[in-house]
Amino acid sequence: MLRSFYRCLLRLHPSGFRQRFADEMLSIFDHSVGRPAAVRLLMDAVVSLTRQWTLRPEFWHEGPAAQQAAPDGVPSFCSLDPFRPRTGAVIQGLLLSTVLFFLICFAIRYSGVHVLHVRIPEARFENQQSIRQDSGAAEGSFEKPTALRSQSAAAIDSSVANLSVPARARHQDQASDTQNRASHSSATPNAQREAVIPVAKSQTKLQKKSVRSPHVSPATPEAQAQLQPDMGTAADQSQAQQLISQEAAGTTVQAASEVGELDGAARDRVIRGAVADLNKYYVDPGVAQKMADALLVHEKNGDDDVATDGAAFADLLTKQMRDISHDRYLMMVYSAVPTPANPPALSQAPSNEEVALYRKEMERTNCSIEKLQILPHNIGYLKFNQFPDASICGTRVAAAMASLNHADAIIFDLRDNPGGYANMVALIATYLFDRPTHLNDFYDRGENSTEQSWTLPPVPGNRLADKPVFVLTSHSTFSAAEGFSYDLKMLKRATLVGETTSGRGHMGMGHRIDDHFTIRVPGVKVVNPISNTNWEGTGVEPDVKVRSAEALKTARKLAEKKLQQN
Amino acid sequence: MKDHADNFLPLSPATLHILLSLAAEDLHGYGIMQEVARQSEGKYKLGPGTLYDNLQKLIQRKLVQELGRRPGDDDPRRRYYRLTSLGRGVLAAETNRLGDVIREARLRLQIAKPRRA
Repeated sequence: MLRSFYRCLLRLHPSGFRQRFADEMLSIFDHSVGRPAAVRLLMDAVVSLTRQWTLRPEFWHEGPAAQQAAPDGVPSFCSLDPFRPRTGAVIQGLLLSTVLFFLICFAIRYSGVHVLHVRIPEARFENQQSIRQDSGAAEGSFEKPTALRSQSAAAIDSSVANLSVPARARHQDQASDTQNRASHSSATPNAQREAVIPVAKSQTKLQKKSVRSPHVSPATPEAQAQLQPDMGTAADQSQAQQLISQEAAGTTVQAASEVGELDGAARDRVIRGAVADLNKYYVDPGVAQKMADALLVHEKNGDDDVATDGAAFADLLTKQMRDISHDRYLMMVYSAVPTPANPPALSQAPSNEEVALYRKEMERTNCSIEKLQILPHNIGYLKFNQFPDASICGTRVAAAMASLNHADAIIFDLRDNPGGYANMVALIATYLFDRPTHLNDFYDRGENSTEQSWTLPPVPGNRLADKPVFVLTSHSTFSAAEGFSYDLKMLKRATLVGETTSGRGHMGMGHRIDDHFTIRVPGVKVVNPISNTNWEGTGVEPDVKVRSAEALKTARKLAEKKLQQN
Repeated sequence: MKDHADNFLPLSPATLHILLSLAAEDLHGYGIMQEVARQSEGKYKLGPGTLYDNLQKLIQRKLVQELGRRPGDDDPRRRYYRLTSLGRGVLAAETNRLGDVIREARLRLQIAKPRRA
């Protein structure tokens, strides 16, 4: 046993020493008497092993003459090249490789590439679709309303619904007492939190519950008739744009089947609630404070006394806030019918059934991919009319991008795109870069948190990372579609062709003040890491300004020209 | 020759004992170990690792010559080693150096003895 161990130790010696002396050392071991002597020899062999490998590099290899003396005629491998590096060279190489190793580690740590640990936020951009759904609700265009609330509640929900927020844990808290409409008894402002709406055609009722939207419809044709004309009957996207303009002009979504009478105390309670919500949630704290001050000054001056009914008061407060902020998405909303504080059905995650419905709808509409073509000159053309949830449509969109993989240039047509999910923005942008790229950040004022959105790791085999990209925009291009355009523009990755976009870079949600008043406060803003700002209010300026209808033609010409240059 | 031998001085105890043990006759490794133990009256025990490490160096410096195996030996694995003339010169030089050291040491030790008045 000890002898075997001793032999092993001898075998571990450098070949030069082993071939020359191992037999003799083993011979000495065999002549040793007693276990203590054998143990001493073992210790001696260990010391010798260490010494030969650390202090005797010049004896590591033996010359050919010694190698020929391999015992028993057993074939053995040996190197005829007697070269071996100097000890100094070995140490120098060791130091150099160590330094290089740490330099690379340092570079990885402090480079911008942190994708492995970056979670793409679930936040989605605001969706213009939801505005169309407002009008859809007004028209009763939803086929089968699943929640038959009153028409005014429908309008409230609709108006709140187009505020989107990070999808995580946003619930709607609404009063359940729908009969207590006159009491205004809810003194404590409750946040009416509405999660975002999924992307769906305005003519559909499919919604995921986590992104729940109103499954509502005016109960009667009479109720529809009573809706403000501002709500419009927009059924297509151009009219949706019109609606935005109307909002900008200061109109308030309201379903005024009933008109509530307001006294000073009730007004004061609403104003206090609005002030609190503005200061807590509005994206710009400075502007929020100014608006809050203005509301209080107007109240003190008695400017609000003229508004004795809820709708007029809501309009007045909206106007007072917008006079300061010029934020057309900031809005006080009045509902004659009390809004429930906490409807249980709305605070739950989407059911499997609803997810399945959404999935089915996405399959039916091919995930809103309207056109997928290879145009002459091998220019890929992709027209898609929303950014659907990547967890549902990722595969389908990936297949679409794969089919364009051999194109020499790509045109993304976002002229009719009302936005959607940030994760789809990241997924499509992934094909345009050869490395994970930081697209933007989502800053949530209420939670004072920032989430980053990055492209995913490069897709194997992708050939589009260095191909010219053109993005077609229009006045209707909205929210996430604007984000996609803006990000690519900031990264100088695409040429934008068309019209200036809508200008929606903030996302918000409704905060319930009491049974009848809800304030919509833009509380989440997109921040581009390059510009440190976003396109809120201004829209995204195209690089080449042409009318929307001319955009494709112009982009094709530009692409062809660029390809010829290459 | 002497100047050349001086280049190897001073010798380590192991080297000195190995050269000394080979001064009288050719020996194999085990024989060297036994001879060293005898010379030092068992006070200095040379392990095979140290022995062959030193032999390796001595052979390279040509102070010792490897003779190879001897037929008829008890153990055919043993190889014999012989002191070269250079090795002998080095041993003589080291012996002289040590003689000087010893003489000097004795002188110093006598001076250091307390004198009786």
